[in-house]
Amino acid sequence: MSSGEAPSAAMLTVFSERRSDLVITAREVRAEGVISLTLADPGGAQLPAWTPGAHIDLLLDDTVRQYSLCGPPGDQHTWRIAVLLDAGGRGGSVKVHQTLKAGDQIAVRGPRNHFPLHAAPRHIFIAGGIGITPILPMIAVATEAGSDWRLYYGGRSQASMAFLDELEPYGERVVIWPDDERGLLPLDEILGDPADGALVYCCGPEGLLAATEQRCAAWPARALHLERFTAKPQPEPAAGEQAAFEVVCQRSGLTVTVPPGTSIIDALDEQGVSVLSSCLEGVCGTCETRVLEGIPDHRDSLLSEDEREANEYMMVCVSRSKSDRLVLDL
Amino acid sequence: MTDAGYDAADPAGSGNYPLNCWYVVATSDEVGRSLLARHALGGRLLAFRQADGQVAVLDDRCPHRAAPLSMGMLDGDQVVCRYHGFTFAADGECVRVPSQRHVPYGAQVRSYPVDERPPFVWVWPGNPALSRGVEPPDLPALREPGWAILGGSLEMAANYMLLHDNALDRTHFPYVHPHRIHRGYVEDPPPLQIEVAETTVSYRRTFTPAPLAGWQHEATGLPTDREYTQRETGTFVSPALHVDEMDIIGPEPERQVFRGVFIRAFTPIDAGRTLIIWRAARNYAHDDESVTERLREVYEGTMTEDQPLLEAIQATTGGGAGYEVSAAADAAAIRAYQIVEALLAEERGRPFTRRRD
Repeated sequence: MSSGEAPSAAMLTVFSERRSDLVITAREVRAEGVISLTLADPGGAQLPAWTPGAHIDLLLDDTVRQYSLCGPPGDQHTWRIAVLLDAGGRGGSVKVHQTLKAGDQIAVRGPRNHFPLHAAPRHIFIAGGIGITPILPMIAVATEAGSDWRLYYGGRSQASMAFLDELEPYGERVVIWPDDERGLLPLDEILGDPADGALVYCCGPEGLLAATEQRCAAWPARALHLERFTAKPQPEPAAGEQAAFEVVCQRSGLTVTVPPGTSIIDALDEQGVSVLSSCLEGVCGTCETRVLEGIPDHRDSLLSEDEREANEYMMVCVSRSKSDRLVLDL
Repeated sequence: MTDAGYDAADPAGSGNYPLNCWYVVATSDEVGRSLLARHALGGRLLAFRQADGQVAVLDDRCPHRAAPLSMGMLDGDQVVCRYHGFTFAADGECVRVPSQRHVPYGAQVRSYPVDERPPFVWVWPGNPALSRGVEPPDLPALREPGWAILGGSLEMAANYMLLHDNALDRTHFPYVHPHRIHRGYVEDPPPLQIEVAETTVSYRRTFTPAPLAGWQHEATGLPTDREYTQRETGTFVSPALHVDEMDIIGPEPERQVFRGVFIRAFTPIDAGRTLIIWRAARNYAHDDESVTERLREVYEGTMTEDQPLLEAIQATTGGGAGYEVSAAADAAAIRAYQIVEALLAEERGRPFTRRRD
């Protein structure tokens, strides 16, 4: 070995997510205000494998938006996403609807999966509106795996609900529940009795997620899996929450002080510790980091109550520390 | 076909590898019109080529008295057991029992989904229904023209994840393979750029120009007294496959890229042993047999230099997990462990904890 000065340990690795420049091979209207885009490698190369629940980032000019993969599971030649036009949103969906067309190139990051489907004898899927997208590949896999599953799919009206045609072959396993005909999804009925060995997967607007979370309070720990597309409302920061604390990066052997008003991820970045991140608001799960010691102050929208209490993982983009020191697997 | 649900396969019951995944169990030239026995994926497998060219893979065990079917013979597309003549079709159904008129209920051998993409025969040990529509990894260097290919196989007494860990790790090279590396490995090594997706992780780095290692000079024919830029990439493509690409950028003005692609299929035999089936492709010196033999020594030599260490680690730890301390440079390998952990949780249905068991 040469005896030259070793570079800073933390500078030895730089993380990034896989980025692909893909071409839009199809743009189709799926319901009122919903289009699907099919993406492929321009040269026809195989894309990396993904599993149901995975999502990708669309890298638009000045904004990044996350969309679940909703095509056939295992398809490594095309990725399909569906986009709801949200005129009151942050503008990403408007841009996708108005500007993207078949033949266009689009930059994509991922896929990643923070809503994975676990094998179980029984699954209860609850989808609201565009929240149907991650559920589509899930029910395909659950069917092949022999799960006794049901899907309850709510939406404003039949006309606004995408992919009804693709759900039809599943027959009575799928319950279509348009608000304008039947009111809100009967969650008390669907989730009334905790079913032995059943897992619940829910994706949709915040109201549906919160109601499902509440109905599942009596269910076994970690039976419920949720996917949020936007940040969950957080309680006001407690007094003294913005105190400085120390983060020890175990693998790199570095200790970094996180001052008040600076996020863990920014403080680490200043010291050259590379952590993957995407949304920076505790929604996407990209920066999930294993906690080896210390008590995080969880401020993300991903971890369940049980996961928060376990203190095994944290999202370092928004969460802080209740203890003076955190030791992280970095 | 037996009912192969999530928990039906992996007879050893101790593997830490996902079952719903394509693994290479043989190469195309090994499978012909005779019975090939292979220990892989937690059991004994039997492979043969049917008259129409399709490869069939069955459990190598007669359901009657457990004689290895590979001791028997191939009769057309049917396998006849050496012991009592029980006869099985390529899909594993028993079609004849010589001592009686009807076939006993339940007399069948498990058959596996097979996808042959020469030179590899891929097998899916998990739920057959979940293999539909899922392709094995595509390896352009093994199917496109313009590549010279060599290869081989070896067995190591180490868990397959130790092999992935080793393949994703560049920092052991100055210690284990000091005579095979160029100066850039020890002097000012560039940062590892690690790129992740849900089921894959790659490292990539580009070295500042340096003289070539001895074997690189011999293989490419480039002079020893010049400095060249080199790039290397290694990818955990799936639990079954690691692919390295090593580029030497030739001199101006052509800047010819001398590329070597080193493809290693890691197939668990059981929890403590792995079958490595490897191929190395290069886009230069296509017809030069001496280059082929020089590179064979490099690839085989690198693996056999790792072997005593990996087998000793296996003997010490009994498996892939359980490290006390990792360093920053282990980031890609740690990611590979996390990918496998997530895939195992999905297929085994362990949603109640995310900790490694």
